[in-house]
Amino acid sequence: MPDPIAPKDQLDLLAQEIQSDPLETAADLDAYRIRYLSRKQGRITELLKQIPAVDPSDRKAFGAAVNGLKSLAEERIAEAEARIGPVDDAASGAPDLTLPGRRPVRGSLHPITQARREIERVFAGFGFTIAEGPEIEDDWHNFTALNFPPDHPARDMQDTFFVEPPSGPGTGIFLRTHTSPVQIRVMEGTPPPIRVIIPGRVYRNEAISYKSFCLFHQMEGLVVAEGVSMAELKQVLHAFAVEMFGTDVRMRFRPSFFPFTEPSAEVDIWWKDERLPDGGRWLEILGCGMVDPAVLEAVGIDSERYTGYAFGMGIERIAMLRHGITDIRVLYENDARFLEQFA
Amino acid sequence: MKISIQWLSDYVDTTWSPETIADRLTMSGLEVESVESIGPTFDGIVVGRVLDVARHPQADRLTVCSVDLGSESPVQIVCGAPNVAAGQLVPVAVVGTTLRLPDRTSPDGTREITLSRAKIRGEESNGMICAEDEIGLSDDHSGIMVLATDAVPGEPFAEWLARNGRASGDAVLDVSITPNRPDAVSHIGIARDIAALSGSTLRLPPVSVPTAGGEAASAFSVDVEAPDGCGRYVGLLVRGVTVGESPDWLKARLEAIGLRPRSNIVDITNYVMFECGQPLHAFDFDRLAGRRIVVRRTRGDSRFTTLDGKERTLPDGTLMIADGERDVAVAGIMGGANTEVSEATVNVLIESAWFEPSGIRRTAKALGLQTDASYRFERGVDPELQAWAAARAAQLMVEEAGGTLVPGSVDVRPVRPETRTTVLRAARIESVLGAPVPAGDVERLLAAIGFGTSEIAGGWTVTIPSFRPDVSREIDCIEEVARLRGFDAIPEPAASRVPHENYRTPAEREIYRRVADLLVGYGYREVYTNSLMRRETAAEFADPVLRAGRPVGAPVETVNPISQEMAVLRPSLLPGALQVLSHNLSHGQRGMRVFEIGTVIDRFDAPDTPIAGFRERTHLLIGASGVIEPAGWDRSERTADAFDVKGVVEALFADLDLPVRFVPSEGAHPLVGAHLRIESGDGPVGLVGPVSRALAVRHDFRTGAFFAEIDLQAVAAAAAERGNARYREISRFPVVERDLALVVSAGQPVGPLVDAIRRAGGELVRSVAVFDVFRDERLGADRKSVAFSLRLGADRTLRDEEIDRVVSRIVTALERQAGARLRS
Repeated sequence: MPDPIAPKDQLDLLAQEIQSDPLETAADLDAYRIRYLSRKQGRITELLKQIPAVDPSDRKAFGAAVNGLKSLAEERIAEAEARIGPVDDAASGAPDLTLPGRRPVRGSLHPITQARREIERVFAGFGFTIAEGPEIEDDWHNFTALNFPPDHPARDMQDTFFVEPPSGPGTGIFLRTHTSPVQIRVMEGTPPPIRVIIPGRVYRNEAISYKSFCLFHQMEGLVVAEGVSMAELKQVLHAFAVEMFGTDVRMRFRPSFFPFTEPSAEVDIWWKDERLPDGGRWLEILGCGMVDPAVLEAVGIDSERYTGYAFGMGIERIAMLRHGITDIRVLYENDARFLEQFA
Repeated sequence: MKISIQWLSDYVDTTWSPETIADRLTMSGLEVESVESIGPTFDGIVVGRVLDVARHPQADRLTVCSVDLGSESPVQIVCGAPNVAAGQLVPVAVVGTTLRLPDRTSPDGTREITLSRAKIRGEESNGMICAEDEIGLSDDHSGIMVLATDAVPGEPFAEWLARNGRASGDAVLDVSITPNRPDAVSHIGIARDIAALSGSTLRLPPVSVPTAGGEAASAFSVDVEAPDGCGRYVGLLVRGVTVGESPDWLKARLEAIGLRPRSNIVDITNYVMFECGQPLHAFDFDRLAGRRIVVRRTRGDSRFTTLDGKERTLPDGTLMIADGERDVAVAGIMGGANTEVSEATVNVLIESAWFEPSGIRRTAKALGLQTDASYRFERGVDPELQAWAAARAAQLMVEEAGGTLVPGSVDVRPVRPETRTTVLRAARIESVLGAPVPAGDVERLLAAIGFGTSEIAGGWTVTIPSFRPDVSREIDCIEEVARLRGFDAIPEPAASRVPHENYRTPAEREIYRRVADLLVGYGYREVYTNSLMRRETAAEFADPVLRAGRPVGAPVETVNPISQEMAVLRPSLLPGALQVLSHNLSHGQRGMRVFEIGTVIDRFDAPDTPIAGFRERTHLLIGASGVIEPAGWDRSERTADAFDVKGVVEALFADLDLPVRFVPSEGAHPLVGAHLRIESGDGPVGLVGPVSRALAVRHDFRTGAFFAEIDLQAVAAAAAERGNARYREISRFPVVERDLALVVSAGQPVGPLVDAIRRAGGELVRSVAVFDVFRDERLGADRKSVAFSLRLGADRTLRDEEIDRVVSRIVTALERQAGARLRS
């Protein structure tokens, strides 16, 4: 079925375009050729194809008009070629393919996002889902339910930005100092079994330096189910380290302290560095432990029946290790010369 | 906390090197951050055997010695010591060694020399046979040091010293103590863990603890009026001390851990604190009015001068030590200037108390005064240690300051802690750790750190030592066992079960991820900007215009900001993006496009806020400024305009399969120029347009800056509800193209014309594109031409009459709505 015939005003409109389209550059010229005369989609070519279908009484006039358009276009092409010079290689007629290609503009994901996604990818493979929570928190979720007693030195481990200063023990609203309050929120809303990772932005009221910024991102993990043990925690984190740092990764679990886990450990990986006397050094990458029974009890989970483990790491730290970045502040400068390195 | 290895050796014997000790402590929960060698290292000093001694031909007081240093041939060394003799084993500094020799004429009493091969009065000398003072061992300069017969020529001198129990220098560990280890803030505490880890025994210095009462009790009295703050107060009286410098050994130990020696009495109290963890205070007894100690709380605000000379304001209820008339110390934190031990002090009252931890912490915070004493009290000191520690200090004052201990003591103990026990089940150890621990190991490890175990069915009753206030439950005991065995001893299972999981990832997260990927594909760079900004900036950008006309609450301020630059949480992502664009354009970039997905926060009552009154929304910001298409061989340079960002928004909604409408805004605004409100679904979700001229000028955007800020949370929720795309059968019928050129008034916006075409054309209109807009004199001064390209189609072949009818309906509608006429 041939396309219906274009009425006269359509032809006039087309003539006007053929006459007025800019032909300043070789690119214009190529585009112009394609637009009007290409064998498949040229607008004049389309009209030429329609000539046989036109009512015989109108066919002659229509054919003349269309051919007039074609000559007009060819004239303009000839004129433009004379003016711009043919782009085609004179000898072979082939385009000069040594000219640079037309590259799409490149965007980029921030290295923090890349590290976060990589961590999420690994844990998603282990069956973890993703939970998030608010950046503004209350004392219960950020501290008390996590077994940080009021007036306990453990609270000194994290310097807090207050939004509403405390009016007594266990009060106050502030910027969360870690993603652990989301553990509480998830457990408050979901019965075990639970297996989540929790990415998010956290705030510490500390002096800004090459190794600490007033905010950073953490990735928390929480597993609560029957029969969960420290042995499993070790296995999962070992599998994570292998995925992130390679099959020859060396890691160690060093006993430590966090109020919301017991036993608690810090995990180091061996970072090879030929310049050091030992050929490398232990680098802390995350903290972890078995969920303290007091935390489970705080959210009404039977700590005799259920056990759990939790872990947390700084996403910036992982990003910095992956890319050899030594100053955390550069992550928040967003200089294009930095960002383009991680596209 | 600094721990001296030499000091530790008073309490535990170990063959471990300082590095091994550091490693073992670290792997059992006491992280050693550094190991630092201090004192003489004896590098370059080896044992030598004097083979032969001959008189120096040119000097009566010198000898020429032949010394075997363990190498093939002996070396010749000229020596000036009177006691040198053939057959002696001696320390020899070889050529190249640097020594610090005593020199009274230099300011620090020493002079550094590096030994070279030399001729002394004509005789060659290859090194130096050393006296004790020349290698920093002692002040002895009576002659060269002669070693016992077990020394072997050629062996490092330091090894011989170590073998003979003479410390060759010291190493200091910097131990990071977690808040759960109040027992480990002393040398004895650390030694206890080392003994447990190495299987050796903890050895405490012998101290004779006086019984309460006696002469001391009649010499002074103690009244604890605030038993809730002070569980125990032990006082001992030492008379007749001579206050002066401490002996060398004491000074050396304090200096090793970074303390400046002051006087023997003060140094002894510090020494005992760092030895056993009990803070002590020494009062000048004769300056205590009424020979009385009262532990009480302040009433109302009061002022007090601490012994650092500062006058401090004490909040109401501060726990104080007073004498018969006035306050003499802030309990557990710092003593007062009024009763400080001075050179004139003769009689000393030693205070050794147990203060309630959280009260001390509150006072220390309120006063902004952290001391070694408050650090320990707020973590919890051993409530059984007070009498021992006071007696230990008194004993040292007797030995080192010439005092006499007044027999007996005052020991006021309003609160006597009960012995604490807990049940530890073997099965629970296994279920928490994931592997069984042999019963013998549990008992041995717990016993090694002072825990008692008595077997019961399935486990033990564990008696918790008084110095572990952090331990009270079964899980705490499991942790102790696990850390002492080492977490390496916990085997990893070959496989873990993956049980059912109840928590579902919110669907919005996947949308956020897709949006980020799409924007990267559109050529935009993701940025992370600071959530904290200046108060003025936050106030300026907390504007409904940036929320698509929806209300915005007051910015959320932090009450204790790091700096005024980072004081208030961002109510919008725009200021951060403008800063990034401006930073880059002033640092060599000719153009920049950015996006950020982040949280914006305001004070607002919304139904779904976790913390009432504070609203957090995830926004998307897209921004562009400067050259967006650089010049190439086939095109010229182009700078960004609003259509770049609008186009991205259009593409984004299309990719998310969501409808989007753009509604022009009315009127001028200080933040944004003429812009469009973005609507999708129920209502406005964002805006797109240029920043205002004022903002562009402020940020030096020469070609303007263009942005969209979108409530991505709302968009993602809508997108998530779309579910999977529904398949629509592909039409087998042709689509017809029609171009339509219309002349309208120059001020006529084109967007509504497109909407009108769609409305008038109904279902047949498959797409409408605007392919030309131009003005020309021939059209009339206030007219413009707009050309549309329509694609028309249906699930059948359209007939010509049908198409003509639709087109004419469209034209009529446009004539009526916008006075449009077909261009001829």
